Amino acid sequence: MNAGPLRVLIVDDELPARERLQRLVEELPGCDVAGVCSNGADALSQFGKLKPSVVLLDIRMPGMTGIEVARHLGALENPPAIVFTTAYDEYALEAFESQAVGYLLKPVRSERLAQALKQASRLRVPQLLGLGTAAAPLAARQHVAVRVRDELKLIPVKDIRYFRADQKYVTVRHSRGEDLIDESLKQLEDEFARDFVRAHRSLLVAIAHVEVLERADGEDGYALRLRGEAEPLAVSRRQLAELRKRLATY
Amino acid sequence: MSKTGAVDRPSEDRPPRTTLIPPPRASAAANPAATLALDSQLDPFFIPDFCATRMVFAVVLIAELVALTLALARPNAPFLTELAGISMFLQWLGLTNAALLCYSRRWLARLTVPQSSAAAFTLILLNTVVISELALWLGTAFGTAGLTDRPAHWPFLLRNAGIALIVAALLLRYFFVTHQWHKHVRAEALSRIQALQARIRPHFLFNSMNTIAALTRSDPKRAEEAVEDLADVFRATLRDSHSPIRLKEELELTRIYQRIEALRLGSRLEVRWDVGSLPMRAFVPGLTVQPLLENAIYHGIEPLERGGTVTISGRVVDGEVELIVTNPVAEAGATGEPRVGNRLALDNIRQRLDLAYGGRGSMAVEQSPGRYQVTVRFPYSE
Repeated sequence: MNAGPLRVLIVDDELPARERLQRLVEELPGCDVAGVCSNGADALSQFGKLKPSVVLLDIRMPGMTGIEVARHLGALENPPAIVFTTAYDEYALEAFESQAVGYLLKPVRSERLAQALKQASRLRVPQLLGLGTAAAPLAARQHVAVRVRDELKLIPVKDIRYFRADQKYVTVRHSRGEDLIDESLKQLEDEFARDFVRAHRSLLVAIAHVEVLERADGEDGYALRLRGEAEPLAVSRRQLAELRKRLATY
Repeated sequence: MSKTGAVDRPSEDRPPRTTLIPPPRASAAANPAATLALDSQLDPFFIPDFCATRMVFAVVLIAELVALTLALARPNAPFLTELAGISMFLQWLGLTNAALLCYSRRWLARLTVPQSSAAAFTLILLNTVVISELALWLGTAFGTAGLTDRPAHWPFLLRNAGIALIVAALLLRYFFVTHQWHKHVRAEALSRIQALQARIRPHFLFNSMNTIAALTRSDPKRAEEAVEDLADVFRATLRDSHSPIRLKEELELTRIYQRIEALRLGSRLEVRWDVGSLPMRAFVPGLTVQPLLENAIYHGIEPLERGGTVTISGRVVDGEVELIVTNPVAEAGATGEPRVGNRLALDNIRQRLDLAYGGRGSMAVEQSPGRYQVTVRFPYSE
């Protein structure tokens, strides 16, 4: 940790909880409240501007859970340290214990907070990425985060039409355009298995956006037409049976 | 005799389901909460009340069945004549015995189980001898009086005494075992209610504590009120679980609970009440309404970023209280983590209604996109 106060961002959906944490942080020497947010999306969008080094993150929030916020923050080049706060969360805590993730139980004690903030620089985020599978209730993300320099842009998963893998990146095609993300197609396929299906080796398609599966023009293969997409997407022979099954049962 | 005293594990001696004698029921007491199945007191004495119409009917039925058995067992005599005679005799015997047990019950109930068994035994035996003697005398006075051959005096008395002894032993044992079984079932139901009731959501407890910790400095007066409210809610969950409370108190408790949650959720929580037409003096089992609101908040309001309105409405339908709690729900896929345990919480309420009303309470869940509705119905008395 370098000179200057520790900048702390507080994220909690409940006003009394926010107020209390803010007061506790302000009372600690060497700590500053960088900002206070009432939901995950807000925290992610303000992150670049506020540049906190630690995020105190409530787990149980409407919209986007703390776990998901942490996963998006973890994808940043210089991720902040994350300390979860929770009143009661039997499943998550088990996972945290096993992965040495920092957490505080509400009502938070001042000494515990001080201790957690002191250790915060050691609590790095990458382990968190495994959390999604470690604890049952930590389900698939609702958003995919795209890094634009130091800012995070969130794409709702339900707006995503397909993921296409190129050499190094994965292209996310969604209702407002295209973005590049730094995730593997395999991981995406595992995480969003419920709503996405492989059309070929490098293409993962949102079943909900499929309009029709048809014979490709002039060729002897098949292609998928998606709502709002002009270009049909080629389907590999190997995936055809599986694709048909998923389309029929969705 | 030793038989009646030897039962200490009633669950193994469970009587058959199809009981000939209806289980002894506490006479419909003038208890205001007689609708609550658990509240009808179990009679502490194992010999049922033979003054009750149901028991008299059962006695007549049993006497007739025994008469039939005895008549069938005598192939040499003309069946109907035999049956008529034996029936006549046994009905007399049965009804006088019932009357004796009816009038001596209060006195018998004060004795220990072996003592009262022995006393009941002796009464039945003496009565049998007296009735047999009477039958013989009537037979002599008015001809054969139904019995085909005039039986010899002493063998007749002894045989009757023997039969009475066996039947009385079987019946007393049966009463004792049934009584034990009822006691056991009741104890089990009570402990289940207690177990279900003690379960307040830890989530609620710790969040409330956190809210109070925050308010202690920013708004001490509200913090103080919150502590008082929380104490009320906890006292309610610790209350003697099977003593019913007035509907008014239950609704008051629900409002207190709402107040605590409102501190935390602020403008996100709105509750619309429409319970003006409910009989506020009616008795209901404790924690009937509050858990429904708790559920609506936990599964409905909390996962919604902008919150929403819970509606609690109540009315009386066909002499039953009907309560409907409706809450908005986040659309599938738009929520954060899925909140598990909704079914568990509702099952809990359903079971408690079942236990409290012996199957006469009901709960129905209706689900449509964006909306969740629970309807609870139960009988009431004022």
